Amino acid sequence: MTTTTLSVENVTAAYSGIHALRGVSLSVSEGEFVALIGPNGAGKSTLLNCLSGVVRATGGSIKFNGAELVGTAPWNVSRKGLLQVPEGRQILANLSVRENLELGATALSGRKSAYTLERIQSLFPILAERREQRAGSLSGGQQQMLAIGRALMGGPRLLLLDEPSLGLAPVIVVQVFDALRALNAEGLTILLVEQNARQALNSTDRAYVIEQGRVVHEGDSETLAKDPTVIAHYLGQAKATH
Amino acid sequence: MSDFFTVYHHLFNTFLLGSGYALSQWVVMRAGVFSVATAGLASIGAYCAAILTTKLGWPHPLSILAGTLLGTLTGLLLSVPLARLRGVFQAIATLAFVQIVVAVGLFSDSLTGGAIGLNAIPILVGTKENLLALLCTIYVLLAIGATRVGRAFEAIRQDEAVASSLGVSVTFHQSLAFGLSGAIAGLFGGLEAFQTFTLFPNTYGFGLIVAALSYVVLGGRRSVAGPIVGTAILLILPEVSRPLADYRNALYGVIMMLVIAFMPRGIVDTGLLYLRRRRLAAKAAAESRQ
Repeated sequence: MTTTTLSVENVTAAYSGIHALRGVSLSVSEGEFVALIGPNGAGKSTLLNCLSGVVRATGGSIKFNGAELVGTAPWNVSRKGLLQVPEGRQILANLSVRENLELGATALSGRKSAYTLERIQSLFPILAERREQRAGSLSGGQQQMLAIGRALMGGPRLLLLDEPSLGLAPVIVVQVFDALRALNAEGLTILLVEQNARQALNSTDRAYVIEQGRVVHEGDSETLAKDPTVIAHYLGQAKATH
Repeated sequence: MSDFFTVYHHLFNTFLLGSGYALSQWVVMRAGVFSVATAGLASIGAYCAAILTTKLGWPHPLSILAGTLLGTLTGLLLSVPLARLRGVFQAIATLAFVQIVVAVGLFSDSLTGGAIGLNAIPILVGTKENLLALLCTIYVLLAIGATRVGRAFEAIRQDEAVASSLGVSVTFHQSLAFGLSGAIAGLFGGLEAFQTFTLFPNTYGFGLIVAALSYVVLGGRRSVAGPIVGTAILLILPEVSRPLADYRNALYGVIMMLVIAFMPRGIVDTGLLYLRRRRLAAKAAAESRQ
């Protein structure tokens, strides 16, 4: 029996009367690589923001290693080891690569991280090479690696990624996913939100399909990738004609 | 040189005090807070220092220290309700705070002298003390900027959600910025009290709000040098071109509009960016020649 890292039960969220989440339940076990896919506006990012505490859930329960997260200030969520790589990377352009990474260690607040600066730099050698450069001078793919490295500095017990493929060239997307798979193989638990459903299903163990604020499909990524409704809605015709 | 100094030492003192207020304004904006509380905090520092010395006979260094501490405390207290507000709502709330301070100054005659002013404050502070205070302030701000706190400010200013995703407490750091802003404003308010002979509540009203904001916007919001350069330009400009002195406020307005439209980073930050780009271009050119 594996331990449950994250357990989301019947979470609802609403912005000024619009129900973005209508009771979402999902769980992530330790060491798993889970994807959350779905169309634009389905509530994927809202759910991630509820997890990280930036948006407050209006109902339901979010348990992280057994502790309730609903109502916790977002910086305290990060300090518990639930770390988010935000959508659009959001590196601090005016600081150097090294300063960005060091800032990531704020979330440790006394905990120990399995990921030292050296280990992150060996995972992403470009970050060592560009250590003293302004983060803003990096390319999009390098910035994504910096954003992941920065989150790793905070000692994640669960890493959340919001659309890591957004705005990146296909070849870079493959590199980013390779790095994530390598991290997962070393034992890191990852929950990924992605619009690039095929890439997400190819890389992950399990997936949830979310639509209009509800989970509509769930299962092994491999099984979902072959599911005719999922293919029709999210993977397009190219895959369906195989 | 000494003649020059006799003529301009008053202007130089105004510049030193103005730079202090500008840095008080700068430090909150650095942490992503749109506060205009500096004027009110300076008023509290100035009145606290002046009252302690004129009414209770405290030695002036102690009074200035008390003004600084009261400014810090007020800044910290102010950050509690303001933590719930963002952006333009913070600006409006802090504007209200400044108006409250002005009103209290006007109506508590027995303590502050009301609209007639608090008179006969001994002149005990000069250029030396102002300069020392400004240098100390710059040193402290530079030192903080180089630490994790400085980077946390940078993160919060860019995006609060990102800052908290890194474990940076937005509430804590914004309180810290308010405390620092209050300390700096209180210190320079206390210094000003002992060099103007009279304090009027309206000295620390809307005019100072606009001035402190303009210094920062013109000079730049990133580097510590920004607000100081902004103060120097806005104070010296009307002096060197005497005919314009009467139109100082109009001049401020025009400069502000031009800067916001064409140089939104302010003079110092735009200059630094330009230098960095040139250096990078030169490096790239050297590399491509090889």
